[in-house]
Amino acid sequence: MVSSVTADFLKIDDIRKSFGGIHALRGVSFSLDAAGIKCIVGPNGCGKSTLFNILTGVLPPSAGTATLAGRRISGLAAHKVSRMGVGRKFQVPGVLSDLTVMEHMEIALAARATGGKVLKTLLWRGNRAEAIRMLEEAGLAEYGDKVASQLPHGIKQRLEILMLVARGMKLLLLDEPTAGMTATETQATIELIRRINETTDTAILVIEHDMTFVRDLACPLIVMMRGEVLREGSYDEVRADPQVRAAYLGDRHA
Amino acid sequence: MTLRLLPTLAVWAVLAVLPMLLGPWELAMFGQLLIYGIAAMSLAFIWGQGGLVSFGQALFFGAGAYAMSLTSKGMLPGIPDSPWLGLLLAVVAGAVFGGLIGAALFFGKGLRTAYFGIITIAAAVIAERVTTNWRYIGGFNGLLDVPPLPLPGGLDSADPFAGYLLVLGFALLAFLFLLAVERSPYGTVLRGIRCDERRIMSLGFFVPLWKVLALAISGGVAGLAGGLFATQFSFVSPAVIGLALSTEILIWAAVGGKAVLLAAFVGAIIVKYMESYLSETIGNYWLLVTGIAFIAVVVLFPQGLLGRFFALPQPRRLRRD
Repeated sequence: MVSSVTADFLKIDDIRKSFGGIHALRGVSFSLDAAGIKCIVGPNGCGKSTLFNILTGVLPPSAGTATLAGRRISGLAAHKVSRMGVGRKFQVPGVLSDLTVMEHMEIALAARATGGKVLKTLLWRGNRAEAIRMLEEAGLAEYGDKVASQLPHGIKQRLEILMLVARGMKLLLLDEPTAGMTATETQATIELIRRINETTDTAILVIEHDMTFVRDLACPLIVMMRGEVLREGSYDEVRADPQVRAAYLGDRHA
Repeated sequence: MTLRLLPTLAVWAVLAVLPMLLGPWELAMFGQLLIYGIAAMSLAFIWGQGGLVSFGQALFFGAGAYAMSLTSKGMLPGIPDSPWLGLLLAVVAGAVFGGLIGAALFFGKGLRTAYFGIITIAAAVIAERVTTNWRYIGGFNGLLDVPPLPLPGGLDSADPFAGYLLVLGFALLAFLFLLAVERSPYGTVLRGIRCDERRIMSLGFFVPLWKVLALAISGGVAGLAGGLFATQFSFVSPAVIGLALSTEILIWAAVGGKAVLLAAFVGAIIVKYMESYLSETIGNYWLLVTGIAFIAVVVLFPQGLLGRFFALPQPRRLRRD
């Protein structure tokens, strides 16, 4: 029983979603191990973001289920999914612009310590030592007293990921975490994702367009096309697949 | 670091020694200004921390004033006519009104920004109409002869010296209470909600409950101010519950600085003091001057005139160095 839970930590089973007559997802199934990383690639409109919206409780699926460690998460309200350990990093940098980095960490750590309960949070004493330790590990300590709106783009993105880790999420959904980053910032983010995965055993699902990022992260890929999973495999396997090359990488690669 | 505490300490020190400097008449007037200051702090709390612009703050203030008057005049069947019980019920009435309005607005639909403000305007106008037309609670004329709060030693709050110190004590209490709440982790999350409530929700906080509690806290403090108002002015009328006072409270907080409690508090004292000075010197033109000054401050100093001056350092917990 325990091993099956670790093997299929996140299990997505034939998820479908239609908006009126448009079928955004036509039966998506795959699974992710505890502490696993997978990267979803696919052209715009292939249903990646809809899938993330369903996994975080923003949208209910039309059919199918998603379970985390055996418990259903699809169809629950957003804050309930979050309390079960699913955290999402949005495409636009999601920092709280007037707040300092230390305040960001307190919010995330409070959510973990109190489960998001109002009165418990009111009486909670904070955890300064843990906040500073996490900032140091992520290389963000020097920004502790800075207001988020003054941070460079790459630092904002890393702060947002760090908040999800501090929150104690068991599954991170990262939506284009390196969009708009410089090459150096992208490398730093790849390192952060790897380190989080190795040191905290957090399972991570990434959506990304940048093929350099996908290659360097070196994790199993899921190729999505028109609301379906086209192929699963390593970067090299996927690249060699004629169907993927024709559909996704474009005809000139074929 | 202690340097930044100085302006705050100075304000309370000056207010504490005023009884030695002022005569009874001026002291009584200053006591009334402190009451307006408490109302301004109650608004600064939800506006500055939670980002909720309430045009209905007088509703909570007025609910407190009426609760105080009705209780202390023995007009509530089955409730003893005690002024102190009246003050307690004033706080409760303000908090209940705040919580109810919050629950009606934030559970379900989840109204935000301008819509919240518009609904609070409507609520304040309705409250003014209801109190004006409700004969039992005095109608248009309101209730007169609200008794003062009895104090030990045969004194009561109608005595200028005792009354001033009593109001000052409550002002300090309200300040310390709101400060403790905004400096707690609850306050940090509330500021997060002001920035981006969807993201706070996605971390597992049930945002509507957070806002309802913030409104109840703010309403309770405004209710305290209303209760003190009724007993110190010894009357209450529909004017204390309507849109006009709501707007005034908004102006005090905006001029002083909505993000900093003491800035809003001192803002109320200064604006109200200037008003009485100007109305004596230039008559009815004072409204024009206040209006222009308000517009100038909001455009030129969005953070208020005193926000920076009274801003306190972050709690140790939230500082890295």
